[in-house]
Amino acid sequence: MTRALAVLLMLLCCTPVVVHAQAVTLVGPSDVVAEDVPDDVGQQITVKWNLSPQDRAQASGARPVNGYAIYRKVVQTAEGLESGAETAAGPGELAFADDFDYEANQPVGTVPYSVNQFLDENVDDGVTYMYAVASTGPGGTYSPLSVADMPVTARMEYINEGKLWFLIIMMIISVVIVFFVFYAKHGGTIKVRPIAGLEAVSEAVGRATEMGKPVLFVPGILDINDIQTVAGITVLANVARTAAQYDAQLKVPTARSLVMTTARETVQAAYLGEGRPDAYNEDNIYYLTDEQFGYTAGVQGVMVREKPAACFYMGAFYAESLILAETANSIGAIQVAGTAMPSQLPFFVAACDYTLIGEEFFAASAYLSNDPEQLGSLKGQDLGKIIAAFLLVLGCLLATLAAVLPNAKPLRIADLYITNNVLGEDGLVPDSEKIANLDLLMERDQDAQPAIDEGAN
Amino acid sequence: MAKAYTPGLLVTRHKKHRIMRRLPIAGDVQVKVDDMVKADDTVAETNLPGDVHPVNLANTMSLPAADVVACMLKSEGDSIALDEPLAQSKGMFGMFRTIVHSRFEGTVETVSPVTGQVIIRGAPLPVQVRAYMSGRVVGVTEHEGCEIEADVAYAQGIFGVGGETQGCIRVATVAHDQELTADLITEDMAGCVIVGGARMTVESIRRAMEVKAAAIISGGIDDQDLKELLGYDLGVAITGRESLGITVIVTEGFGEISMADRTYAMLREFEGREASVNGATQIRAGVMRPEIIVPLDAAPSASSDAKFEEGQLETGRMLRVIRDPWFGMIGEVSGLPAEPHVLGSGSKARVLEVTFPSGEKAIVPRANVELIEE
Amino acid sequence: MTNLDPDTIKVILATDCGSTTTKAILIQYVDGEYRQTHRGEAPTTVEKPFADVTMGVVNSVTEIAELAGRRLVGDDGRIICPATGTEGCDIYISTSSAGGGLQMMVAGVIAEMTAASAKRAALGAGSIVMDVIAANDGRRPHDQIQRIRDLRPDMILISGGTDGGTTDKVVQISELVAPAKPQPRFGSDYSMPIIYAGNKDAREPVKDVFSDEGFDLQIVDNLRPVLERENLGPARDKIHDIFLEHVMAQAPGYDKLMGWTGAPIMPTPGAVGDILQTVAKLQEINVVGVDIGGATTDVFSVFDETFNRTVSANLGMSYSISNVCAEATMPNVLRWVPFDMNERELRNHVKNKMIRPTTIPQTREALMFEQAVAREALRLAYKQHKEFATTLKGVQQQRTVGDTFSQQTSGQTIVDNMTLDLLVASGGVLSHAPRMHQTAMLLIDAFEPEGVTMLAKDSIFMMPHLGVLASVHPKAAEQVFDRDCLVYLGTCVAAKGMPKAGKSCFSWELSGDRAASGTINGGDLQLVELGEEETATITLSPARGIDLGEGPGKKVQRSVRGGTVGLILDGRGRPLALPEDRAACQSTVQGWLDSLDVYAEESEAVAV
Repeated sequence: MTRALAVLLMLLCCTPVVVHAQAVTLVGPSDVVAEDVPDDVGQQITVKWNLSPQDRAQASGARPVNGYAIYRKVVQTAEGLESGAETAAGPGELAFADDFDYEANQPVGTVPYSVNQFLDENVDDGVTYMYAVASTGPGGTYSPLSVADMPVTARMEYINEGKLWFLIIMMIISVVIVFFVFYAKHGGTIKVRPIAGLEAVSEAVGRATEMGKPVLFVPGILDINDIQTVAGITVLANVARTAAQYDAQLKVPTARSLVMTTARETVQAAYLGEGRPDAYNEDNIYYLTDEQFGYTAGVQGVMVREKPAACFYMGAFYAESLILAETANSIGAIQVAGTAMPSQLPFFVAACDYTLIGEEFFAASAYLSNDPEQLGSLKGQDLGKIIAAFLLVLGCLLATLAAVLPNAKPLRIADLYITNNVLGEDGLVPDSEKIANLDLLMERDQDAQPAIDEGAN
Repeated sequence: MAKAYTPGLLVTRHKKHRIMRRLPIAGDVQVKVDDMVKADDTVAETNLPGDVHPVNLANTMSLPAADVVACMLKSEGDSIALDEPLAQSKGMFGMFRTIVHSRFEGTVETVSPVTGQVIIRGAPLPVQVRAYMSGRVVGVTEHEGCEIEADVAYAQGIFGVGGETQGCIRVATVAHDQELTADLITEDMAGCVIVGGARMTVESIRRAMEVKAAAIISGGIDDQDLKELLGYDLGVAITGRESLGITVIVTEGFGEISMADRTYAMLREFEGREASVNGATQIRAGVMRPEIIVPLDAAPSASSDAKFEEGQLETGRMLRVIRDPWFGMIGEVSGLPAEPHVLGSGSKARVLEVTFPSGEKAIVPRANVELIEE
Repeated sequence: MTNLDPDTIKVILATDCGSTTTKAILIQYVDGEYRQTHRGEAPTTVEKPFADVTMGVVNSVTEIAELAGRRLVGDDGRIICPATGTEGCDIYISTSSAGGGLQMMVAGVIAEMTAASAKRAALGAGSIVMDVIAANDGRRPHDQIQRIRDLRPDMILISGGTDGGTTDKVVQISELVAPAKPQPRFGSDYSMPIIYAGNKDAREPVKDVFSDEGFDLQIVDNLRPVLERENLGPARDKIHDIFLEHVMAQAPGYDKLMGWTGAPIMPTPGAVGDILQTVAKLQEINVVGVDIGGATTDVFSVFDETFNRTVSANLGMSYSISNVCAEATMPNVLRWVPFDMNERELRNHVKNKMIRPTTIPQTREALMFEQAVAREALRLAYKQHKEFATTLKGVQQQRTVGDTFSQQTSGQTIVDNMTLDLLVASGGVLSHAPRMHQTAMLLIDAFEPEGVTMLAKDSIFMMPHLGVLASVHPKAAEQVFDRDCLVYLGTCVAAKGMPKAGKSCFSWELSGDRAASGTINGGDLQLVELGEEETATITLSPARGIDLGEGPGKKVQRSVRGGTVGLILDGRGRPLALPEDRAACQSTVQGWLDSLDVYAEESEAVAV
């Protein structure tokens, strides 16, 4: 038993030695084709070939071909023939030398067995290359070069045709945005749906004024680099303007020092703008602590002690959202919240008088400023959203119909077109190959159909 | 009811006219009873309290309102100049004191411990009341104003803009139905009261403003021209406070309408004389019409014999139709049917028959005519 | 003032002293109900040379006495009260708007909150609000002071702050009023009445501010004790008291008149508001009333027992006609006119009407144009009313997660045309239109009632008298209001929604005093005869998306009352949309006018 095992081991170890010793001549791949990669900046060429007939595992498990080496040579430079530079092989000379030295010439790349293509990403725009591929075997053996039948020039395309749809949609949205910006600038009216939460600002501040209580503004717990905090500061400017008009006291406790500085600048500017610089009091905008719950406790303390009549929460919130909103609710304040935190929105909606939800929060600055540029881009973006939603619905509809009616070829083509061309990278013209494949697929489905029916029965 | 009262605009060659000159608030009256005053003499003077500027010191100094009083450097009644220190905070151990400088000039009126607000009242604004009409002072109300009376020729317009002014009457047109155009207004009309015939154009008013005329009077004006002149569409006929630099009076109405012959003749007669003109119009309860007053040296010996009772509608009286379809036409009352008549509009109303100079007769509601006072 | 048992009142004499005429009516208890039996009119005699309001009153009452054959004025020149057999009346009451009515200035802290409540109180009491001063009205303090100085109100109402709320803002407002030293309209020996109805904690400091001579400070309960609730009663009553004690007492002859009346004299618009409230309460309906005058338009509404009144100061048919055209714009006015008019000439006509306000339209074209202006004036006045008649602002909202996408702000209008039951018109252009059809059409076009709405007009402007009567004898007031005051024009059934032109909008079936049925197409207007004393039940089946009162597409059954015009079925949709194109608009409007026979070809005479 032990002997038998030893013999087997020996046999296994010796097998490659035996193969090498045989010195079989490797067969190279056939039909080597080099193609410029379309829709790129001219730095890629794809080389494809048919696998060598020897590219398969033998019964012993050994592989005569364990990979391919790809070689190339420059045939012509971009500058033309006069310069003569880099024309190692001489102009017009397309063939590789008969005595090609595999060791001296570095391949531009190697791929393992079973792979029949290589993407050369290291070419120069406008240079013509000739490619050749050799099969490699164990022990550094090479097959003769299989040379591509045509040289190939890497080219830069100015338009990525595969993403033409992307371009079209982008152009539409851009044109629409520009149009609406111009439209708004030239006195056109762009109606923005009234956002209850922002309409309520004057009401909330008014309530605070009538009740002789302060207005509390909480700009979230994240720093100024968070986009939600920035949006919150935009709303703060509006709240401050209203507070200045009404001569109400505005308190802004912050959790970040930078937010405090920004808030101070904003509020001061708002008071100045309203012609009430004397009513601005810097001490009302202060820093509490960076600690989430330390800050929450601090704000809660302010609420309980000073009983503000209006509370605004505008920014990024986490677990403190409901704690704050419930406390303020218990003291009878009008509350307006705005955040893009999906997990906190339900709490705010339930506990506050008004809530700005996600997009509304970001649209606030356009809504409040009435600036034509912002309004125009808001309107344009809305159109983009409508297009996206339309494609979404159309795609779902087509996919559903295609699944329900497998025989309706136009439906399946349309489905394919949306998936691969509009949303994918196939460009404007449908890929004939994929449509041909579709025919096959449909035939197969048809064959499968009765079987399914039977199965269902 | 054989008689019906239909009011008209007063145009008369003689009338004892009395005007009240009143200060907005109590002040000094500078004339005595029986003084003779000229139109541009000042008859009374006063100082209006200056503008009020509130300063919120509590916020500026970050202090509770009640502490503001203690920090004041000026007390109530003190006068303060621009940039003069107004208040100073106590600071910390006598250091870090904040000084607030006044941004206004005036006197400190109040310092409120409730609001922390200091009210500074600006310098008083002097107000002078002029006589407006040359005449004799017949009454003085101490600290309030005086009454002036004069024998005048008097004409009411229907509508005007701009306030009180005075100047020499200059007639620019040759007939009462000639349109007042810009080319009729010349440089030497500066300070004058320009009189035209029919409609005045906006160009003529602009030209009159250019030559610095005091007032311009004509029969009619186009609404579009008025809008162009004012820069807005006049909604309610309450005018007199416009600052156009000229007083504009129309005597008949809007549109292409000539000045009543009588008014025109009277103004022509008084050409070269000083006239006091006021465009202020108020068509509401307490109606006020623009007026042209020409003070006379002496009362004319005999006033025209009153053929008709004032304001009574009688056959034979001259009247003007003041509503379309015969708007602006002048005719004579030829019939006063007692029974109400059904109008083209379907309403029933009391009417009269009018004969136009062409001999054409028409039935017109009594509400739509205006007597021409003889 | 006498406290009479309502059951013993059988003869009621009421006068309304307007700025030009004094109107008197006599109400008698006949055959178990109260009826207005006679009326008289005489010029008001407040101004010089008479300067005694009672002269006009006696003249108008004498006219009634002659008509009724009942001696009402005694030898001493006084009205005989109480009645003795065939002489005198059981109670004499009066309203007044002579001398420009009651003019007030109000102030509050926030324009939309306490200042709005103060304005509501003042308007509800029947005054003209000359200006509203608030901390947030956008004016600089010295501008506010200047404004207060320029106005010469009869009295000033100051509110602000909830009880326990802001003190300093209220004091600040008072500090604006005091140095401005506003002068009252009448006489300089009379000190300016100031009603303070704000935060109770601020009473003392406010007293200090107004401690100077020249002010007569009166303190009443806060009209907004908490933001969630209004308490207008005390302020309103105080306004009435001061109106009587100070304002009326200054007007010539009123001291005498006050001695005659059995109930306090009320400002005319306040009385109109009272009668509408009384009727709305007794009949459990929602009412809108409008009074369009030469200079102003008053709109009154009672929705769910909440009363609101607005005065649109510059919307009127003569003094303010030019302003209506300017505010509504000429194209908007002309869309109601079914023929071409030269705009330049029209503009001149409008201005001529403004400077000669007493003229009347002589031709049909002029009448149609004037009624077009009236439509726009009413539409604008109603719009202002809707903006003012809102729920309270500054109130905390209760929400559930379900409200996520349907958050509404507070301060929404409470005026809902669908729940409106009765629309009452008064004022020259409406009550003196040559044909009642014109009045009805004007009301429908301007107010755009929805669902089933009864239309009526105040025949001889009797509402003020009945308003005062309502305070003494509500039942009598309601009976007379229903039987004699109102002339029922008919009922309007209007579809809410956007019906397609030419397609069925709703089908209807009438049963009761009159039986008929039919279908109304989108854009159609149809008049169905239903006489003055007739009532019927109408069953309506609206098309999909069309609402007639029970929700879109739901069947509706209502009882409807006829009138001098009849039953008007309106399938034009709401909001009412007219074609933009001038020619198309003209033919559409002409079609509507034809279908309701608004301007009859052969104009039949109707008394003015």
